[in-house]
Amino acid sequence: MRVNFVLNGRNVIFDIAPGEYLADTLRANHILSVKKACDESACGACTVLVDGRPILSCSYLSARVEGRSVTTVEAIQDEVNQISDFFSDEGADQCGFCNTGLALTIYALQKEMPNASDDEIRHFVAGNLCRCSGYQAQFLAIKHYLEAHR
Amino acid sequence: MEANRYLRPATLEEAYQLLLQDPKNILLGGGLWLKKSTPSANALVDLSALGLDAIKDLGDRLEIGAMVTLRDFELSPLVKEICGGVLTEATSQIMGVAFRNGATIGGSVAGRFPFSDIITPLLALDAQLVFYPHKEMSLADFLALKGRLSDILTHVVIKKSKGRSFFKKVKTTALDFAVINVAIASIDGNYRVAIGSRPSVASLALKTMDSVNNKKKLSKEEVLKAAEIASEELSYASTNAASAEYRKALVKAYVKRGLEEVSKE
Amino acid sequence: MKTVNHKTPSVDGKGIMMGRAAFTDDFAEPNSLIVKMLRSPHAFARIKNIDTSKARALPGVEIVLTHHDVPRKSFTRAGQGYPEPSPHDKFILDEYVRYVGDEVACVAAINESVADQALKLIEVEYEVLEPVLDFEKAFEHQSVIHPEEGICEMFPIGFEPKKNVAASYHMHVGDVDAVMAKCDVVVEETYYTQAQAHAMLEPHSTNARLDYHNRLVIYSSTQTPYHVRRILSQTLDLPISKIRLIKPRVGGGFGGKQALHGEFFVSLVTLRTKKPSKMVYSRQEVFESSYTRHPMRITMRLGAMKDGTIRAIDCYSLSDTGAYGEHALTVFMITGSKVLPLYNKVDAVRFGGRVVYTNHVSAGAYRGYGAIQGNFALESVIDVLAKKLNMDPLELRRKNMMEEGETSPIFEIMGEGTEGTAMNMDTCKLRYCLDRGAELIGWKDKYPFVRVGPHKVRSVGMAIAMQGSGIPYIDMAAATIKLNDDGFYNLTVGATDIGQGSDTILTQIAAETLMTTMDKVVIYSSDTDLTPFDVGAYASSTTYVSGNAVLKAAKSMKTMLIEEAAHYLKVSVDEVTFDGEKFVAKDKIITLSDMANKLYYNENQHQLTATESYVGHKSPPPFMAGFVEIEMDTETYEYKILHYVSVVDCGTTINPMLARGQVEGGIVQGLGMACFEEVKYSNRGKLNSNSFLYYKIPTMLDIDKLTTEFAESYEESGPYGAKSVGEIGIDTPPAAIANAVANAVNIRINKLPITPEKIFQGANQEK
Repeated sequence: MRVNFVLNGRNVIFDIAPGEYLADTLRANHILSVKKACDESACGACTVLVDGRPILSCSYLSARVEGRSVTTVEAIQDEVNQISDFFSDEGADQCGFCNTGLALTIYALQKEMPNASDDEIRHFVAGNLCRCSGYQAQFLAIKHYLEAHR
Repeated sequence: MEANRYLRPATLEEAYQLLLQDPKNILLGGGLWLKKSTPSANALVDLSALGLDAIKDLGDRLEIGAMVTLRDFELSPLVKEICGGVLTEATSQIMGVAFRNGATIGGSVAGRFPFSDIITPLLALDAQLVFYPHKEMSLADFLALKGRLSDILTHVVIKKSKGRSFFKKVKTTALDFAVINVAIASIDGNYRVAIGSRPSVASLALKTMDSVNNKKKLSKEEVLKAAEIASEELSYASTNAASAEYRKALVKAYVKRGLEEVSKE
Repeated sequence: MKTVNHKTPSVDGKGIMMGRAAFTDDFAEPNSLIVKMLRSPHAFARIKNIDTSKARALPGVEIVLTHHDVPRKSFTRAGQGYPEPSPHDKFILDEYVRYVGDEVACVAAINESVADQALKLIEVEYEVLEPVLDFEKAFEHQSVIHPEEGICEMFPIGFEPKKNVAASYHMHVGDVDAVMAKCDVVVEETYYTQAQAHAMLEPHSTNARLDYHNRLVIYSSTQTPYHVRRILSQTLDLPISKIRLIKPRVGGGFGGKQALHGEFFVSLVTLRTKKPSKMVYSRQEVFESSYTRHPMRITMRLGAMKDGTIRAIDCYSLSDTGAYGEHALTVFMITGSKVLPLYNKVDAVRFGGRVVYTNHVSAGAYRGYGAIQGNFALESVIDVLAKKLNMDPLELRRKNMMEEGETSPIFEIMGEGTEGTAMNMDTCKLRYCLDRGAELIGWKDKYPFVRVGPHKVRSVGMAIAMQGSGIPYIDMAAATIKLNDDGFYNLTVGATDIGQGSDTILTQIAAETLMTTMDKVVIYSSDTDLTPFDVGAYASSTTYVSGNAVLKAAKSMKTMLIEEAAHYLKVSVDEVTFDGEKFVAKDKIITLSDMANKLYYNENQHQLTATESYVGHKSPPPFMAGFVEIEMDTETYEYKILHYVSVVDCGTTINPMLARGQVEGGIVQGLGMACFEEVKYSNRGKLNSNSFLYYKIPTMLDIDKLTTEFAESYEESGPYGAKSVGEIGIDTPPAAIANAVANAVNIRINKLPITPEKIFQGANQEK
């Protein structure tokens, strides 16, 4: 079957299987920033934005994206550039595998809760697992990113 | 997953007929647990086009459409007002935000997942379920039902009760399944105690409730006694997550604290 | 210093976050055959018969391989120096399967769906054998896990497969029993550590193609590209010159990628079909079919005098290496060699035991590499001794622990698989780390515990630790620096960045030495055709060993540049001063940029390249003190981690922020092992905890606060005074938590992870 949607600002039509998941569809169509780390809704690495909301693309059927808009980091390069500066500043960048999903989550957080408290930040990004950083540097980077946007 | 067709019916009747046609035609909720539970299907039936994604204020109760996401449910000010915000509290502890943006109330309830953190407080609040075609039953009855239902869950109805509540989810890490969860609602002097992930699905602790109901003030001994009853009256089993013995000890501690919390001046 | 020990952004963080193709699967050829494995449902079985005819007949299936179709030559999958200290006990595919998830057959098909179908069409008849699922019963068990011919040890490691022994080791200094007999107090405890999963976010991934030289070119998510190339060559009987192995960005390793995973299979598929192929482990395969930490049982006995002088340590350990013996001996030895020297002033010390095979997932390298297991045991029993002596645990440590300038006889005796290297602790700031850490956690106001509510207490616990910086006389690293026109440099290193930031810190070392800025040094790493040799990312070798190689190469390049400048300026070498950008001699001046252009286009043209290597003569340990504060519910025994303080001596921090990241990442991974991560097998040997849903790694909500500081320390033998820092962070949490729990409620948990239920059961037993 085919699915027609807006991908990173452009209208696209992709051939998909009925049971195909968005993470696979996107990677097969060269959106390599989308990562599959667990493929079972448990780690957040595959996060993409659908209509601005973070969702787990490994468990989101591609057929359901019909008529919607999908955003990956390719579409928000300026914002991610900024977020990466804050990450660099805290030494939060290590292997990077969780970073693209996390960047989109941070972007969504800033839009949804620009004045998020420390607790609210942690709760919002808790679903993005990281094994390298120990989280504290990531948390500080996110906090400073939000502060810079107020 | 392997599937032959994806369909988005325009009416509930169409969806219902599809389910009747073939046991391998399955309903899509949020689809978050689909991969693990169902490696292959015939038709995937999506209810997204049926306007079931609204939270409606019906005056004395809220009508939650089955396709309302857990996240929308969590963020709803109307839901937060119910009985001290126990539903919001419980929902916010389910996995992460991206997960909750996909998972639906309907999927979470219809699945009758034993580890569910949302079923327990819904049970404490005596939620009612609406199915298509035309069947209504309490969540308690639905949980007790044997076997599958071919009806489609369309709405969850919750009374807009004012009261006090307590919710505790015991877990290893923040994103874990509950080792045990406890929800207590106190509305107009009437206590409802629900305990889930025992590991079995949430159940009302009726004897516990009897021991404390219609008492204006609860003494320390009565609270302790009630907690003791709660740890005995329901069945608890040992799993990889915890032993039955430890679950009972947790229930005792948290039913005690919960009753203290909801009954204090 | 301008770059080293200064806040410096990583060279790759931005590009990766912005979504550039970076990881192994991003570089798979678009039409790669999908390679999948049929895996054993049995913990121990022999394949009586395997019929792949239906699978091969399925349209879209290109090739199916069984143990009948692959070379029969034993090897070890462990990425280690050659000859390896791990037994050669693995065949590409074998008639025996030795754990649930072991490889049975290999399928390559045009897409995943066909590959999955093909797997289902392979018919296997198994003779199910009695599995060995309890490592305490493995020795001389009637089920022999490796009965096959053709396996061997590369040099004596105590390999006795008929007894299910992969390796064994014994050492002693002095007469432990005699000294113990004279001690006032003897304590003995037995500890159990679990098989922790690495849980790196990027699953194991590899892909292969034949290039137009008809060479096999492989991308792999690996920590040891050179070892992988060699092992493939030796086992496939393919000249090593025909293989190119490239390691792109790796999404986490922690030791879990210090061994081969899919490389054999994509190699064979591509060699035989001539088509590109790829293999990406599912998360379930990462849990079930890659590697875990070695679970151990460690018995620690300490003998001390009333005044707190520890006079003897006796340590006996049993380690479970699972189905295959990767890293069996070396992890085992580190349990002693990077733990026991912490209390170096004893009169006698003894360490020994064996590593047994079981039908569990194969255990392998994992950050800490035995030191975390040994540390849990030693740093727990020290607190037990302190209690018995009625001494503050800090005091007992201050009295006995390693100090700067001292040594331990253990260093000379115990290396990694072989003898060790004597060395003095030229830098050891352990005393400072301990004192400062105590200050930061508020030890004197909080030890042992403080009541904060009707059923809530807060307590503190701590541990000290050491690790190493590479393996002396074995680990070799090399670096090449090439000058380009316009005056910028290429730095090529074999050193393997797996996310720990080695690309960045090695660039910093080069930039510092060449007195230039980071943007003028372009690093490329881990490509066996293009980069000089490096053993890879393990044994905390990158900063110290690879860093020293880069330092030497940069110094060498600087010397060459000055010689060239002297030539152009027509002066002697001694008259030239270089500031990184220009060469000045008296009143003559030439910029690096101009000189480079002349060198390549105009005058006396030749390429300037400097290649240098480094092998360590010692392995200066980083040290640390870890302190934890917890809040415990005294009814349910649930506890929260409020604060973890780390004070680390790793010499100079080449990149302070990335060093902090290494420590904090290690602390949280160590807390995972201490508190949350449980490996659970069914009674038939199947891993139940084979998913992130059941195997819980820490989240951002699980630890409130981390405080990390570095001691002022300068290790002369290290590049700009640096020691390594990759592993030290993981060692202290298990003992620190065990000690904090004991301080809170007087219950000692000797078995990891330290769960509320275990404490609850402990409390019940006391009643």
